[in-house]
Amino acid sequence: MKLLLVEDDGEAAAYVRRGLSEAGHTVDYAQSGREGLNLAISETYDVIILDRMLPQVEGLTILRTMRASGVSTPVLLLTALGGIEDRVEGLEAGGDDYLVKPFAFSELSARVNALARRPPTQAAPTVLQVADLRLDLLKRVVTRAGSRIDLQPREFQLLEYLMRHAGRVVTRTMLLEAVWGFHFEPRTNIVETHVSRLRGKLERGSGHELIQTVRGAGYRLRVPD
Amino acid sequence: MLRSISLRLAALYTALFALAVAVLGAMILFATREALARQFEARITTESVALAQEFRTEGLNGVLQAVRERDRTPGALDYGFKGPGGVPLAGRLSTARASSGWSVVSLPSRSGRSSAVRLFSTDLGGGYRLLVGDDLEQIEALDGVVLRGFAVALLGVILLGAAGGYALSRDMQQRFAAMSGVAEAIIDGDLARRVPLRGEMDDLDRLAATFNRMLDRIGQLMESLRQVSNDIAHDLRTPLTRLRQRLEAALRTADAEQRAEAVEAALVDLDAILETFAGLLRISEIERGARRAAFRPLDLAATAGLVVEGFAPSAEEGGRFLSLVADGPVPVEGDAELLAQLVVNLVENGLRHTPVGSAVRVVVRRDEEGPVLSVIDDGPGVVMAEQERLFDRFYRLERSRSTPGSGLGLALVAAIAKLHGARAGLFDAGPGLEARISFPPHG
Repeated sequence: MKLLLVEDDGEAAAYVRRGLSEAGHTVDYAQSGREGLNLAISETYDVIILDRMLPQVEGLTILRTMRASGVSTPVLLLTALGGIEDRVEGLEAGGDDYLVKPFAFSELSARVNALARRPPTQAAPTVLQVADLRLDLLKRVVTRAGSRIDLQPREFQLLEYLMRHAGRVVTRTMLLEAVWGFHFEPRTNIVETHVSRLRGKLERGSGHELIQTVRGAGYRLRVPD
Repeated sequence: MLRSISLRLAALYTALFALAVAVLGAMILFATREALARQFEARITTESVALAQEFRTEGLNGVLQAVRERDRTPGALDYGFKGPGGVPLAGRLSTARASSGWSVVSLPSRSGRSSAVRLFSTDLGGGYRLLVGDDLEQIEALDGVVLRGFAVALLGVILLGAAGGYALSRDMQQRFAAMSGVAEAIIDGDLARRVPLRGEMDDLDRLAATFNRMLDRIGQLMESLRQVSNDIAHDLRTPLTRLRQRLEAALRTADAEQRAEAVEAALVDLDAILETFAGLLRISEIERGARRAAFRPLDLAATAGLVVEGFAPSAEEGGRFLSLVADGPVPVEGDAELLAQLVVNLVENGLRHTPVGSAVRVVVRRDEEGPVLSVIDDGPGVVMAEQERLFDRFYRLERSRSTPGSGLGLALVAAIAKLHGARAGLFDAGPGLEARISFPPHG
């Protein structure tokens, strides 16, 4: 993927760039907001990573200008620690996701991957299918290899999110936000218990691991090669 | 001294009072004069009428005798009797020239000086004329007495005013100086100082008492600030020390796997530290009240349900039972995410500080005062005395020191409750603990 990173802290930027490059992405880097804006408008990117706290031109101003000039590239905002208000503002200004600094690289990587738009297949899929797993969004029914699996509403949402991001790493925090709407981290690992219950129901007797645990990062719904 | 408000006030009042005394003096002077003049006039007319009567009944000799007699009496009026052609016949005033009616003439007095005399002249017919008058000197003398009296009074007022003003302003100045001295001492860091009270509860005493209460409040704030900074430092020292040791150990070890493990453990420690910071920042952001703009009508029972549903499996794995007790929707106005966090924190507390086998119930109901959310466990509970302090930042029970936790959970609960205008309290659930959040009436 081709990414744009707008970040004024050189050291942090170098670290992020190295990580993203190692993950196989091409990363363009802008140290100032103005430079970032120019690149965002002139080039085409899959995802833009934008620091909110930039000298001279503020991150949100850049985001608004970008959106006003018709750039619809998904934007991941990096915000300061503890700023609840920041997230709301960022999303209102046209951001697609946000990440609080300091963050684990795995979190950033997972969120960048989740943001990247997949090539459009169906306009609005009513059925999600991964290997022999089938999730009907309208009937709220999940089947595996033709046999029906009973899921709790929250487990259904969890599976839906994993299937929508099949093959990509999804972090605990992303699931907390998407499934429970919690933008804070409870001490109890509720995601883990729910994932393991879901796993139990999906993989009962199959011995075939469908939801993989990615160490230090999160979970991934395995897509057969 | 001239800058002193009390002195200026005293001077102003003294001046006003002196003016009042002077006006009063002038009025009394006029009034006495008027009264005296009228009295003399009355006496003069009465005498004139009496002597005219005498002239008519007793004849010339009778009246002359009467005039001479009266003229000799000390302190009496002045008299004069003239014959035809203005010939003076008897009395001191007989030399005065005056036409009928009232007039003022100048006459040599007994002492030799000339003095003004106000007189009344009566034409008795046949060329005879009677003059009755009185020396104005007497009235003037009386004026002098009144004026001197008031001058003394005025001087007294001014002296008393000045002395009183000085004493008053000295007193006030001492009290103000005491206050500003205390303020200076506090600026210099002696926060224990307070303004002394006289116990009279006058307005200055009341001001000083208010001032002292404000100082108490500032003292509390300073103390809690100091406490919080101490607590932050203290609470972070342990994880930071551990973090340092882990990193050092990682640096020393040659085994790659062990090193990776140590670094991973260090990251866990670091995340705990960051979590503490995030918690503190979150609390202060909530306390700022900015989130109130995001308030929406929501169902408290649904929010609690979401949390219970999310935590029930984990609770079960930990050997505890988590359940929701709610009869139906309980509408409140609030921030859904923050309220979810409030419930999460209370539930986690309930699950964490109770022994295996305990039950934690989340009860959402509406009582007559408004919506109420309670998280009730059947664990060991807490000592009553500790209940209030549990909502303080970093306050942890002695027996909880060993369990992981930032000590910010309940402080965050308190902040979120306050933002929603709700009261947070801990109650004895006998056995166990009830954390109760009482919301204000909806709508």
